[in-house]
Amino acid sequence: MNESISNLWSIPLFIIIPILTAIALNIMYNRKKAISVTAVASSFALVVISALSPFGFHWFTGHPAVLPTGGYTYRADLLGWRLSLEYYYGPLQQIAIFLASLLLLFVVMISIKSLKKNIGPYISLLFLTFMSSAIVIMVNDFYHMWIGVEIGSLIVAGVVLASGEAVSQKAALKYTFFSALSGAGLAIALALILGVTGYSNISDAIKAMPLSNGSLASILYVAFGFTVLSWVYAGGLAPIHPLKADVYGASFPHATVLLQAQSKLMLVAIGLLLLRVFGTLPFAKEVMLSISVLTMMLGVVMAMLQTDFRWTLAYLIVSHSGLVTLGISLGTVQGIIGGLFQAINDVVYMSVLLLACEGVYYFGRGTSIKSVSGIAKRAPWLAIAAILGAFAASGVPPFNGFQSEIILIQASLNYGMPELAIVVLMVSVTTFIALFKGIYNIFLRPDDALNNNEKTGTPVPKILYACLAALIFITVLFGVYPQLAINFLTEAALKVVYIPWVP
Amino acid sequence: MIEINLQLLCFMAAALLVVIGLGGMLFLDNIIKKIIAFTLLSDGVNLALVTLGYVEGGIVSILEPGTSAGAFPENAVLIFGPGIVLTNIVIGVSTTAVLVAVTMVLYRRYGTLKASKVLKGERK
Amino acid sequence: MGSIDSLYDKVKRFVTEFTSGKSTSSAMTGYMTGELQIVVFMMILASFFRIFSIPLGMVILAAVVGAIFIFGPMIKTIEDENSSDLNRVLFWVMIYFAVIIAVTLWG
Repeated sequence: MNESISNLWSIPLFIIIPILTAIALNIMYNRKKAISVTAVASSFALVVISALSPFGFHWFTGHPAVLPTGGYTYRADLLGWRLSLEYYYGPLQQIAIFLASLLLLFVVMISIKSLKKNIGPYISLLFLTFMSSAIVIMVNDFYHMWIGVEIGSLIVAGVVLASGEAVSQKAALKYTFFSALSGAGLAIALALILGVTGYSNISDAIKAMPLSNGSLASILYVAFGFTVLSWVYAGGLAPIHPLKADVYGASFPHATVLLQAQSKLMLVAIGLLLLRVFGTLPFAKEVMLSISVLTMMLGVVMAMLQTDFRWTLAYLIVSHSGLVTLGISLGTVQGIIGGLFQAINDVVYMSVLLLACEGVYYFGRGTSIKSVSGIAKRAPWLAIAAILGAFAASGVPPFNGFQSEIILIQASLNYGMPELAIVVLMVSVTTFIALFKGIYNIFLRPDDALNNNEKTGTPVPKILYACLAALIFITVLFGVYPQLAINFLTEAALKVVYIPWVP
Repeated sequence: MIEINLQLLCFMAAALLVVIGLGGMLFLDNIIKKIIAFTLLSDGVNLALVTLGYVEGGIVSILEPGTSAGAFPENAVLIFGPGIVLTNIVIGVSTTAVLVAVTMVLYRRYGTLKASKVLKGERK
Repeated sequence: MGSIDSLYDKVKRFVTEFTSGKSTSSAMTGYMTGELQIVVFMMILASFFRIFSIPLGMVILAAVVGAIFIFGPMIKTIEDENSSDLNRVLFWVMIYFAVIIAVTLWG
C-alpha cells in the first residue's frame, strides 16, 4: 500500500524530444543555421540520454499488479497481473536506442550538408523515424506496438518521397498501400487477443492465454497469422521484400541508414512478441523459420542480379533481415542472442556501406556500375571504407558480422538444423560476391574519363568521412570484443525463453 | 446450430466488407478505386472491432453513481474495441491522405491512373 | 538424336536464355551465380524433408535435381516473380496469409 509508482524519467524524453524537434524544424522550414543547431543538439541529447539512463518502466494507465495471494504491488519484477499500457527500458532497449540515436546524429549532420531545400520538414521526418523505432522497441503492450508500427510506416513513405524521383514516388505509394493492409491486420490481431485474454499488456496476455481451450486457441491462430503479416511488412520479409527493397533503393542512401535501423528494430520487437505470445503454438516457429529462410535466399539472389550499387545494398539489407529473424525464430537462448546481435551488427555495417554509397553520389554520375568507375583513385578513403564494410557484411573476421553469424550457425547446429547453417553460410558468401561485384566496378575498375582528367561532381563532405570512421570503429570493436554487445542482449534472450516477460 | 443474432450479422457484414476491399485492391486497376477499396477494408475492420465489444442489452462502460459494482462487469460493453476504432479511423484518414497525395503527384507525372502502367515493377 | 551438334545447340540455348537484352559480363555473372544459388537452395529445401521421412526426402531431392535440369534456367522466373509490381506482391501476400492460416489452423 505504501509503495509508489516510479516512472522512469528518460522514457518519455525519447518520444517527446523527437516530436518537439520535429515541430520546431517544420516551423523553421529553410533557415539552415537554426535548423542545424537545433537538430544536432537534440539528436546529441538523445544519444546522451540513452547512454546515461537507468533501466526501468513507465506506466500510462492501469492498476497495481494483483498478486496470486490477493494483495497487490507496484514492483515491476514480480509476476503479478497489471492491466496497463507500459514502456520498458532495459539493456536491449539501451543498446538499440543508443545505436539508433547515434545514427540519427550522423544522418542529420550529413543531410544538413547535402540537402539544398526543404531541410526542415525532411529532418523532422528523420526525427519521427527515430521516434517510431524507439516506441516499438520499448513497448510492452499491443496498443502502442500497433500505433508505433503504423506511424513508422507512414513516415517511411514521407522519407522516401523526399528524394523526389519517379521511382521513389511509386515506391512510397506501393508501400503505403501495404501499410494500410498490415495496419488493418495488426488491429484485428490486437482485437482478437483482447477478446480472448482481456489484456492489452503483452505480459498479462501471455499469462491469460487459454491454450487448453480448443475453440479459443483457434482464434489465437488467426491472430498469429495477422501478426505475422504485419511482421513481414514492417521488417520487409518475403513476400513483401521487393517493395521494401524499392523503398531502400529509392530513398537517399543516408535516409536508408535510418530506415533500415527502424526496420530492424521493428523486426526484433515484433519477432520477440510473436515468440513470447505465440511461441508455444505448434507450427508457429516453423512458419517463422520458413519465412526467414525464404527472405534470406530471395534477397541475396536478387542482390546478385542488380547492376546499381544502391539496389544491391537494398536487397542485401532485406536478405540480412532474414538472418535476424532466423535467430529469433529458432527460439533458443543462443539463437535469440545471435539474432539480436546480428540485428545490431547489421545496422552498423550496412550504414558503413550506405554512407560509402552516398559518397559515390558526390561524383555526379549516379551509383550504377555501368556509369561510374575508378572512384578509388579520386577518393581512396571512401574505397577503403566500402571494402571494410563489405568484409564486415560478409562475415570476415575481425569484423562484427563474423561474430554474430558464427553464433547463428552454432545455434542452428545445436537446434538440429544443419541446413539452416548452410543457408547462413551461403548468404554470407553470396553477400561477398554481390558486394564486390559492385565495389570492383565502382571503385577499382580503371576509368577512361579519369585519365582525361575530367572532374565532375562536388567534393565529398568531411563529416561523411568522420561518420564512416566512427561506424567502422564500432564494427571492429564489436568484432574484437563481442561481449560488449552480447552483455546487453543476454538478459533479454533469457527473459524471452524462460519467463515470457518483458524482454 | 449457430444462433443468429445482431453480433453474428455484424461480423458477417464486416467480413463481406473486408473481402470486397481485398478484392478491389487486388483486381481493380484504377489507383483511386484501389484507395476506395482500402477504405472499405478499413471500415470492415472497424465494424469487426466494434462488434467484438458488443454485449446483448449491455450498458455504456462508465461507472456511474448508483450502478452496482457486481452487475457492472457483467453488462458493460468492452471498452477497448471502440478505443481502437477511434485510433484506427485517425490512422486510416492519414493513410488515405498520403495515398491520395502521392497519387496526385504520380498523375501529374504520368497522366494516367492505371496501376498496371504506373505501379509496374522496376527493372534496374 | 544425340549428336554433338544438338548438344551444342542445347547448351547455347541454355546459356543465352539467362539474360534478356544486352548481357554484359557483370550482368551474366550475376545471373549465373543466381541460378547456381537457386539450384543449391532448392536442394537444401528438399533435404528438409528428412525431418518427416528420410527415404521420401531422398526421392524428393532426386526429383528436384531432375526438375532443375529440365526446367532451368529458373533465375528468370525468380526475377519476374520478385518484381515489385503492386498487384503481384498483393497476390503473393494473400497466398502467404492463406498458407499460414491453413498450416497453423489445420496443421
